[in-house]
Amino acid sequence: MRFVRFALLGGISGLALAWGVAVTSPWWFAPKEDRVVDVSDPDLIARGDYLARAGDCVACHTAPGGAPFAGGLGLQTPMGTIYATNITPDPETGIGSYDYGDFERAVRKGVRPDGVHLYPAMPFASYRIVSDEDVQALYAYFMSSVAPVRKENQPATIPWPASMRWPLGWWQLLFAQPREFEIAEGTDPQIARGAYLVEGLAHCGACHTPRGLGYQEKALKSDAVGRFLSGSVLEGWYAKNLRNEDTGLVSWTEDELVAFLKTGRNARTAAFGSMTDVVQHSLHYLTDADLTAIARYLKSLPPRPGRETWQPQPDETTEALRAGDFSAPGAIAYVEHCAQCHRLDGMGAAEIYPALKGNSMVFADDPSSLIQVTMAGGRMPETPAHQMTFAMPGFAHLSDEDLAEVISFIRNSWGNHASAVTGRHIARMRRELAHKPVHYAPEAKQ
Amino acid sequence: MKKPVLLIATMAVLALGGWGALRGSPADMPEVQGMAILDADGNAVGRYTVPADKDILTRPNADQILYGKRLLADTARLLPDNVGAAMNCNSCHLGDGKIDAANGYINTVNFYPRVMPRAGKEVDLEMRINGCFQRSMNGKPLDPEGPEMKAMIAYMDWLRQDVPKGQTVDIINAGPIDETLVPDPENGKRIYAAKCAACHGANGEGMSDQSGDILFPPLWGEESFNIGAGMARTYKAAQFVKWAMPPAMHLTGPLGQGGVLSDQDAVDVAEYFTHMPRPDFPGKVNDWPNGKRPRDARY
Repeated sequence: MRFVRFALLGGISGLALAWGVAVTSPWWFAPKEDRVVDVSDPDLIARGDYLARAGDCVACHTAPGGAPFAGGLGLQTPMGTIYATNITPDPETGIGSYDYGDFERAVRKGVRPDGVHLYPAMPFASYRIVSDEDVQALYAYFMSSVAPVRKENQPATIPWPASMRWPLGWWQLLFAQPREFEIAEGTDPQIARGAYLVEGLAHCGACHTPRGLGYQEKALKSDAVGRFLSGSVLEGWYAKNLRNEDTGLVSWTEDELVAFLKTGRNARTAAFGSMTDVVQHSLHYLTDADLTAIARYLKSLPPRPGRETWQPQPDETTEALRAGDFSAPGAIAYVEHCAQCHRLDGMGAAEIYPALKGNSMVFADDPSSLIQVTMAGGRMPETPAHQMTFAMPGFAHLSDEDLAEVISFIRNSWGNHASAVTGRHIARMRRELAHKPVHYAPEAKQ
Repeated sequence: MKKPVLLIATMAVLALGGWGALRGSPADMPEVQGMAILDADGNAVGRYTVPADKDILTRPNADQILYGKRLLADTARLLPDNVGAAMNCNSCHLGDGKIDAANGYINTVNFYPRVMPRAGKEVDLEMRINGCFQRSMNGKPLDPEGPEMKAMIAYMDWLRQDVPKGQTVDIINAGPIDETLVPDPENGKRIYAAKCAACHGANGEGMSDQSGDILFPPLWGEESFNIGAGMARTYKAAQFVKWAMPPAMHLTGPLGQGGVLSDQDAVDVAEYFTHMPRPDFPGKVNDWPNGKRPRDARY
């Protein structure tokens, strides 16, 4: 009995202490900066505009069909939906009343002016390294150039007690410590610029770095064991491995990478899923110099041991299919459903139909993206580089067995080699697609 | 007293059922709806489902059907002596002839023989296919009794899935177009540059894949279809352009095709590319011997 009472007392005091630490953390862990920024400086505003593109703020802070930056896009979590907020300079419903210190604290430290912790859906852990000058430019842009929109924020649908925000203070203490951008001395300035963008504003790791139990990115910058940007699954998409290794980017040239980032396609592949939005709303606005910097930095991410290169096996598929030998499992379904665009040689057509041969998305470690794009289809981004934008229709009407067979065929033909896909993978994706989150608050509820 | 209990029980069952239905996983693929099979009077008498190609393997003449499938898809490469243009049958008969409003082969075997206005006489399927070889393919006819002709017909015969003669599967060869529209080739030229040239080339030259197989056929020039082809006629081409072109536009549909251009734009662009230079058709003197020449015919 005494033990129980002791444990209870201990528990309550522990909880109280944890609560106390968390709710006060905004003041001692994420203090507000005192600085005045000239938001009318046109150069600063222009730079902020560019940086807001690089940060792709608009992607999350805009509901589909909604006013830019007025919020409303939902992010599905296991406990409910969090809605991105209105970050237009409307004084009542947006951030119009934020002074620079409020803005900086939200962007880099994840704390609201009233001391409430932000959900880490806001990538402040990445934005920690954004330079003072860049945060000031962003502030000037948002205050002076974004049109204010009066639109109330949509409350999250997470039920109590999970809706309590103070535990997020502990998340920040554990996973979003203050840090500055660091790069090894003597690093090529272009690679350093790429690192600054990739690790910071572009927050590539939000999708491409695997996450831990606390939903934290396992690495926020290049790390010794190579977890940073090593690929991660989100909402049934596999954001591919971006390291310069076998199933990552070793088979991509820097030019291919730059073309992909700028136009959403290159001679071999095309963006789909969320990457389409990233290219369309963010990357294609970046300068060639910055895109080259990003590509060069990604190509500099060292491979993990034993994964230095990717060697295709001999291509026996092209000749067999062109000679009418459809005996390989999945071959006949490939010829029926895929070959009209992706061709018997698996090479597609440059910048129109992505190749499957030698395409590292196809033989990725995790087949989720290949499965999802096959079942649900995909669309290239619209950019000024191309007049026509192509889409692939979905093939969810095929059976689990047929899809598994044809996707396994694609992953293991024309010299590709990767793990097989089974009917269970397909069934799981079917469930995932059936329960796909709706990424915005229904109009009626706004 | 009983009523509320019953009501609550019913609501609970409904709620649980609703929850189950919401969370319930789709078991494998959705059920195939198929298309109606119509008799001569247009009454639905059954359902037709487009067969998967692996069904071919269950047929006693599987090799012949597959050969036919390949000939239709890779005509220029496999029958170089008969094909004069850089065209395959499936350049116009999209999706192996399995697609609605894209010149399907599903009803082809049951449609012929038939008296056709262009020939002014009864045409059988072999004659019709050879018409394509001499017009759209700008080449030479196949031996009507040869293995190539028999294989192509075997594929089409398999595709009809035993739908008997006198009945048709409820699909159309081409969607409707407003034929009262007056074509504006200048607008057609703009549409071509914006919507067609990415694949068919700025000069209508088409595009081969990296193995040299035809991917996007040339729309004019020496390698294109000749003026005897149906596709050389403005309104016939416009029907195809509107309903079957471009592919890869949508997340649904077998090829994500069509539905991009208005009737006017389709007519304009069809007028533009059909009237670009293309080979002549020597047999044109024999067409429409009994009159009834369509107004968009080229001769």
